[in-house]
Amino acid sequence: MIEILQQIINGLAIGGVYVLIALGLTIVFGILGIAHFAHGSVSMFGGYLTFFLVAQQGLPLTLAIAIALVVGMVLGVLIELLAYRPVRNANHINAFIVALGLTMMVEGFNLQFFGAEQVVIPTGATRVFNFGGLTLPELRLYVILGAAALIVAMTIFVEKTKTGQAIRAVAENRDAAILMGINVQMIPMIVFAISTALGVAAGVMVGSLFAIAPGVGEGLVVKGFAVLILGGLGSIPGAVVGGIVLGVTEALAAGFISSAYKDVIAFVVMIGVLLFRPQGLMGRA
Amino acid sequence: MTGKIFLKGSVAGLAALMMSGAAMAADEVLTIGVADALTGGAAVYGLPQANAVQMAADEINQAGGIKVGDDTYSLDVVVYDDKANPTEATNAVRKLIDRDGVKYILGFCCSGATGAVASFIEYEDAVMLVGNAAERSITTREIGNLVRTRPPADYTGAAAGAFVAQQGHKRVAVLGALEISFYASYVEAFEREFTKGGGEVIAHEVFASKDRDMSPQLTKIREMEPDALLVVGYVEPAAFAYRQSVELGMDIPRYGFTSGSEEQFLRVASSEQMEGVWDLRPTELTLQSTGETGLAYHKNYSERFGIAPSPSSPYAYDQAWALKHAIEAAGTADDTEAVAAALRDLEIPSEAVMQYLPVNGKMFDENGQAYTANGAFQWQDGHWVYVQELPSDPEAYSAFLSTLD
Repeated sequence: MIEILQQIINGLAIGGVYVLIALGLTIVFGILGIAHFAHGSVSMFGGYLTFFLVAQQGLPLTLAIAIALVVGMVLGVLIELLAYRPVRNANHINAFIVALGLTMMVEGFNLQFFGAEQVVIPTGATRVFNFGGLTLPELRLYVILGAAALIVAMTIFVEKTKTGQAIRAVAENRDAAILMGINVQMIPMIVFAISTALGVAAGVMVGSLFAIAPGVGEGLVVKGFAVLILGGLGSIPGAVVGGIVLGVTEALAAGFISSAYKDVIAFVVMIGVLLFRPQGLMGRA
Repeated sequence: MTGKIFLKGSVAGLAALMMSGAAMAADEVLTIGVADALTGGAAVYGLPQANAVQMAADEINQAGGIKVGDDTYSLDVVVYDDKANPTEATNAVRKLIDRDGVKYILGFCCSGATGAVASFIEYEDAVMLVGNAAERSITTREIGNLVRTRPPADYTGAAAGAFVAQQGHKRVAVLGALEISFYASYVEAFEREFTKGGGEVIAHEVFASKDRDMSPQLTKIREMEPDALLVVGYVEPAAFAYRQSVELGMDIPRYGFTSGSEEQFLRVASSEQMEGVWDLRPTELTLQSTGETGLAYHKNYSERFGIAPSPSSPYAYDQAWALKHAIEAAGTADDTEAVAAALRDLEIPSEAVMQYLPVNGKMFDENGQAYTANGAFQWQDGHWVYVQELPSDPEAYSAFLSTLD
């Protein structure tokens, strides 16, 4: 029993990262219909930037994260304005190609400016908490709490604020939103700013828990889309549930079956869910 | 005024004379190639090797180059990134041979890529000098134009198994990159000797080279309550395994086979998380286990590249010096067969950094394999400390290697 609970704790931290990645993807996809493949690379950029600010510029970690989040939001706005807006009314394949090109550009940028070696963001959080045989490393606790706080903040923003309502309105019916006086030119920029900030937060978590290196972002975005499908396309609660299910499933699979098939087993679970609920766990039929 | 002009003219003339003298002393350029992992997960081994070859080449040039009859060769190094990938390595070596006309290829940190090149190198007019790649089969194929400076993994694994059994452990759990054959062969030899010593390996948990979260496997191992943990794999995943074992509250002796430097481990884990970890590996470069050449190598490398050399990087440095002496002994830089034969007949060069154990008085045995002693290193207060030599019998292993296909 202890082992199962420990594996669940192990899976919650990585599940939290998946949730943040998937949330960023799902709001972009749900509102703009764009499969934003560059999201993983942008997340890694956020992690690299935080590492650069902490390890090479000597900034405190919290300040470095705050700067990275702001830079991420600006980057998100620029991506929307310069990359996706020009092809918004074109065929979907154009946005798809832009997304792929953007991925290569951001990966190349990361490689050029931050190098090919893996980096680990130093946090100094090395304490370990024990609860009746269960251990919870301080860093994983921060990641779980950080992810939970961002999920709650995101939910409150979308559900309770006027901007959030406007975002939902655009997602529901763009034409009706225009008639209601919503500035639909502004909404995509806000969505990309939020999405990229969430991605940056995920990048920081990956970079401190594990490591950032070329190629890590691509793997992360694949997992993010898997969560999207598992939870239901465009569904915020679906991204939360899907991310946690995927993270915990991976940990249980690695612990009880084989780590060699960790990814395969996670995707088998995803396919299994979709067989019974094609719309995903929380998607609307 | 006239005096100044005369002085200037004299200085210029002297400089010209010196330059022409230098040109005469190094009137040929011998291009050597390096194929190694400069990017990706294996760059922790490959990049220091590439640096080491470059440094050795510069030192050879500064020391007067390679003397062959009346000719003196200076070395020029061409480096390609093989990403530790068999296809990339094949392409890199093909470019070196076919496009750059290179006859001597050094580097080779990693077994998969090295094995791919070894499969065709015997048909080429070239000599391949393998460094850190530890897969045994590389020197069991009777490839006449291939030599390797690092001993095979199982040569070290057997010594490690005997050592861990001597520590009194009975139940050891293994966590490692066991899908990579040379790590598997290390564990196989470890297990054979450990079992002989009365122990049992109770778990064989696997991680992939790209994995960074080993907590599920470690949780499973923790539940089995082993006496000790053995971690085998590349530095980065191994460092995460050590860090996460502490995070899971595993208070048991930890042994490993990684050959990572202090800096490489400290990028991932704190010194406290590493405290007490053993690395059971060939007696590679550490300040406690090296002689004067090793100390000089460490100093020169650190000054030149701004970072301490990785423990395994001298395998490549020694390749360059072995090649220099072999070419001089063969009396030719063009006849690769003669140079390959001279390598097998070479005594250990005085410039070698690793402390090789000769077989029949030679650096390489008839299989082209060199041997170092094996050692037990322990992490103490932020440093790898050389604790003791592990039992090593290169003559017996060489005889065993000769029996394999």
